Amino acid sequence: MLSKKSILDADSLSLEDIKLILSNVDSFLEISRRDVKKVPTLRGKTVINLFFEPSTRTKTSFEIAAKRLSADIINFSPSTSSLKKGESIIDTIKTILSMKVDLIVIRHSDSGTVKMVDRFVDIPVINAGDGKYQHPTQALLDLYTIKKRFGKFEGLKVAIVGDFLDSRVARSDMNLFEKMGMDVTIVSPTMFLPEDFSGMKVKHCIDDVIEDADIVYMLRMQFERQDRKFYPSVMEYNRFLTLNMDRLGKMKPGSIVMHPGPVNRGIEITDEVMDTSGELAEKIVIEEQVTFGVAVRMAILYLILG
Amino acid sequence: MIEKAHILNEDDIDRVIRRISHEILERNKGPESLVFIGIQKRGVPLADRIAKNIEKFEGTEIKAGKLDITFYRDDIGQNIKPNARITDISFDIEGKNVILFDDVLYTGRTVRAAMDAIIDFGRPKSIQLVVLIDRGHRELPIRADYVGKNLPTSLNESVEVKLKETDGLDSVTVVEKG
Amino acid sequence: MNKNERKDILIKSGRVIDPEKGKEFISDIYIKDGILAEMGENIKAKGKELTEIDAKGCIVCPGFVDMHVHLRDPGFEDEETIETGTLAAVKGGITTVACMPNTSPPIDSESMVKYILEKSEDAACRVLPIAAMTRGLKGREITDMGLLAEAGAVGFSDDGRCVGDSRLMYEVMRYSTQFGLPLVLHEEDYSVSRGGLVNEGSYSSMLGLDGISSLSDDVIIARDIILAGRSRAKIHITHVSTRGGVEMIKKAREGGLDITCDVTPHHLFFNDSYLASFNTNLKVKPPIRSEEDRLALVEGIKGGVIDAIASDHAPHLDTEKNTTFRLAEFGTIGLETLFSAAFSKLCREEKISLPRFISLITTSPAKILGIDAGKIEVGKTANITVIDMEAEEEIKRDSFISKSRNSAFIGQKLKGKIVCTISKGKLVYINK
Repeated sequence: MLSKKSILDADSLSLEDIKLILSNVDSFLEISRRDVKKVPTLRGKTVINLFFEPSTRTKTSFEIAAKRLSADIINFSPSTSSLKKGESIIDTIKTILSMKVDLIVIRHSDSGTVKMVDRFVDIPVINAGDGKYQHPTQALLDLYTIKKRFGKFEGLKVAIVGDFLDSRVARSDMNLFEKMGMDVTIVSPTMFLPEDFSGMKVKHCIDDVIEDADIVYMLRMQFERQDRKFYPSVMEYNRFLTLNMDRLGKMKPGSIVMHPGPVNRGIEITDEVMDTSGELAEKIVIEEQVTFGVAVRMAILYLILG
Repeated sequence: MIEKAHILNEDDIDRVIRRISHEILERNKGPESLVFIGIQKRGVPLADRIAKNIEKFEGTEIKAGKLDITFYRDDIGQNIKPNARITDISFDIEGKNVILFDDVLYTGRTVRAAMDAIIDFGRPKSIQLVVLIDRGHRELPIRADYVGKNLPTSLNESVEVKLKETDGLDSVTVVEKG
Repeated sequence: MNKNERKDILIKSGRVIDPEKGKEFISDIYIKDGILAEMGENIKAKGKELTEIDAKGCIVCPGFVDMHVHLRDPGFEDEETIETGTLAAVKGGITTVACMPNTSPPIDSESMVKYILEKSEDAACRVLPIAAMTRGLKGREITDMGLLAEAGAVGFSDDGRCVGDSRLMYEVMRYSTQFGLPLVLHEEDYSVSRGGLVNEGSYSSMLGLDGISSLSDDVIIARDIILAGRSRAKIHITHVSTRGGVEMIKKAREGGLDITCDVTPHHLFFNDSYLASFNTNLKVKPPIRSEEDRLALVEGIKGGVIDAIASDHAPHLDTEKNTTFRLAEFGTIGLETLFSAAFSKLCREEKISLPRFISLITTSPAKILGIDAGKIEVGKTANITVIDMEAEEEIKRDSFISKSRNSAFIGQKLKGKIVCTISKGKLVYINK
């Protein structure tokens, strides 16, 4: 079993936990390929999908995962219900606990919130992304995607491209990637990096890594949330960080492109790359990530509740 | 593990399979309403062999599928790492006589799980069970419709079935748990 | 407490520390009618109504002066009141507090200064109001600083806010020279801090929490040093938190400026690695900074750059802290742990001498505020604290007298325990 019942961040997942989860995913992927994509394994268990921040992908992924295992899953998005009446997050959690659920999946826009909730409850909690802190299940599905393509982790060269500082995906990925022995380079401009990045492998332009990387991991860039961001423009981004056809063509054989979704076309990745067909299209594994996401979350739910 | 007795050899198994093929046809008055489902993993070759026999006798192709019951087991939580095999039932079972195959019938829990899984696919007219060996010690009210061999065993013995498709040879032996 | 009111007190055989003279000696202290009547060996006190305190092995020193306290009264009495805040203070050995003006309404008028003084007449310890520099703490118009000074304000501050308008700040400084009172300055450049939550550094990056760069403090400290150089105002930088700040203050003072500063026990005690737990009680302003900054603060005390230790006691309701890190209010309570937290770090770990340490919470802040406090003097009203230096205590949530529980020190083991406190001549606190 997992060393801890809750999955709060990538840091606290041991190497054994990660291997256990990854080794279980194949079986659950098999279920997703059946005509009847449902097994009774978690019948009678109740999972709550507590999403304080809007999300379609992750919420749906957990929902499908739970349903395929026959767990009852309740979607609760407090932003649209009682939180508007000034109910605090702790009150919401207390209400949910009194309904006797077996597991809480939480997403929140504030860093550290899932850790806080975990201290208040004695049932397992899964972090489905909190603020700029972490998104551990995304990192696990990213690992599984890499495992499927490469069959190993040790020595793979990964370039994580984009807004490193504000990305929960990057924080979780970097932790797990390094734990698995991968060689991680961050490709980011200064304003998306910590003030002191001397301890990290950093490049400022995607061209510096594109030919050598086994995995190019594109982070989502949000120009609309600019309260603490100082990046000049999309044009500037396109010049130094965007994955375009020219750059895709320079990638070495067998290398892949990943993205946590949803892609901002024309910012992180150009339309041409997204819509490309033929040999180069096989490099883009973004849809595989989504497919594997369900199986990875099934494995996690199974290992926690089974 | 100490090998105690050879129960069936290749010829014995052949004979058993031919007999059961006839029994199935007789009881169901021909092959028309039949679909076969083998439980992973040794139920699958049993289903295939009998389907081939019937095709030989009757000239009718019988649809045979595979069923993995890992996630239907009632002890799934205790079994940390599930090792699911393929489930492939690419035909309609609605209103059919489903013949379910497994190598050994023991507590009945596997068959219970298999019936649960089958019912997720539709409502068959009936489910009939074929087993190569019935070794007794049932924990659920389940019985086989077609039995290769009834083999009374003690709880510290186990029955080891090997089939060419999965193990390279056909044999059934009883071994004592070490 | 009432029972003890009229009783005379004899403190026997304590190790008396006189931070003003830097002396230590074994002595009895006799308090008669609230006045420190006699000091010396083997005092034989007469009278039936006498409380005797055996202070053998204990430190006996002047009651502490905490120059940075939020009493929340008026306006936020559910967090703290003058009554509960002063009771918490005396539990921490503090007998004089200077309270900050960010109440509701703020202390920006004569009547508010008088309200504080009148309401605290019967309080467990002395309360001295620091009045606002700008009306409503809004940073736009200068308050009636002359009237506020006459009413009894001991200094001026917009604490919790920083005056961004440099010309206005300059005028506040110039005007303050007329009254000789210090300006207690909260230094923060909002265009740098930008809604940040914790110190900007490797931990903010690791935790995905928006950072408050030390530039936020340093840019404004630099500005205010320039303004003070021109205006010749007496300025006091409160809760200094950065290495850069300490260095600039040191240079400014060497250059002849009348500049002083204080530091909080929590900035001396913690560094930002403690934030990894997302403990909202460690969300304070300025933020708990890096270990490098913390060490610079300790050095600042050792080298005499930092003049005082003040709690920045900031009570908050549970509902304001039991929320997400982003939404939680800034601040920790600190009156009851002022001594033990700072003592544990500075005397036990850093080996700073006891008289020097005691001066940081007695004579030195008193001098900055220009008040008569923090001394042991025969013939004056007795304000005395008795401390057991050897005792160690784990700080628990339910051990506080303060109305609020938001202490950064919950769970920490602190050394040095207040045995009893005599404030305004009365025995107001005894630790049982």
